[in-house]
Amino acid sequence: MWVPILGLVIGLVIGSVLNVPIPGAYAKYLSIAVLAALDSAFGGVKSIFDEKFNAAILLTGFFTNALLAALLAYLGDQLGVDLYLAAVFAFGVRLFQNLAIIRRELLSRWIDNRKIAKAKRDNHD
Amino acid sequence: MTNLKNWQMPVFITFLLLGLLITVQFRSQQNYLRDLPQQKTEDLILMLKKTNTKKAELEKELGDLERQHRLISTNVSEEETLIKQLRQDITRQKMALGIIPVKGPGITVTIDTPIAYFDMIDIINELWNSQAEAIAINNHRVSSWSKIYWSEQTRALTIDGEAVAFPCTIKATGDPEKLDSGLHLSGGVLDNLDIYGINPKIKKEKELELHAANQPNIEHLKATPTP
Repeated sequence: MWVPILGLVIGLVIGSVLNVPIPGAYAKYLSIAVLAALDSAFGGVKSIFDEKFNAAILLTGFFTNALLAALLAYLGDQLGVDLYLAAVFAFGVRLFQNLAIIRRELLSRWIDNRKIAKAKRDNHD
Repeated sequence: MTNLKNWQMPVFITFLLLGLLITVQFRSQQNYLRDLPQQKTEDLILMLKKTNTKKAELEKELGDLERQHRLISTNVSEEETLIKQLRQDITRQKMALGIIPVKGPGITVTIDTPIAYFDMIDIINELWNSQAEAIAINNHRVSSWSKIYWSEQTRALTIDGEAVAFPCTIKATGDPEKLDSGLHLSGGVLDNLDIYGINPKIKKEKELELHAANQPNIEHLKATPTP
């Protein structure tokens, strides 16, 4: 449960310490890559709850989605088509869906745990 | 979740990278927003106004400082002029006193045979009378405190304790014409010497150099305030 949060915190700390400079022109592509990475990460968490987790799919999806999103946005800029909007839409929609599923799973687990605890207490009484 | 034990490491790595990406992106986005082209027009106008006000203030300060600088420069140049004038004044006073070497046009009077001390005094007086500016007898500068007398001990015509050797040359600076005519006045000092068969040779000179006299004795003197 705490593994993703711990990883996130360590990543944030490393990023703050390293202070990698990115030219302003590439900030847009990096933002799309971040969105894709967010989607992959939460997709990974969702798959754990669905009990369909696969490490290879998570890691390849994380990198390829981020790279492809940035490349697509770049290509869109070169062609004069706002392709990054498609990436924002696709990843954004899926991100919210995944977050909703994670939220529901966590909620139902919490409620189940409470029911079990209550039943245990009742049995003791 | 329980039947999937190997999920933790990949998820940890994924979230670590995600955190890294987010911070990098956050920083670059902050920098991007701080760039001038990304600022709001109102903010830019405000910044421009502030900068303009600051510029006006600095320009005013610059003007003040330049005025001050000019003032000080004028004072300095005035002081320099004053010092220059004072130096010139001092030099003029020293020349008049005879305590510094001087040069200028004038005449030389050469006397071959010894003369009486009063004749010498007559010649010097006549030269002063003809507006001589500086006089020297055998390179001894005649000052306002010079003494010309007959010394009984050395049996010689003496000026300020120095015996005058003959032939003797008297140098006098001033207007050569005036000095010459002053000496040649009829019934004057030359006519008087002529009676004794002494005929000094007078020569007009374009430039004469005279030595300095000794420093005057002013031990007991005090200046009275000038009105």
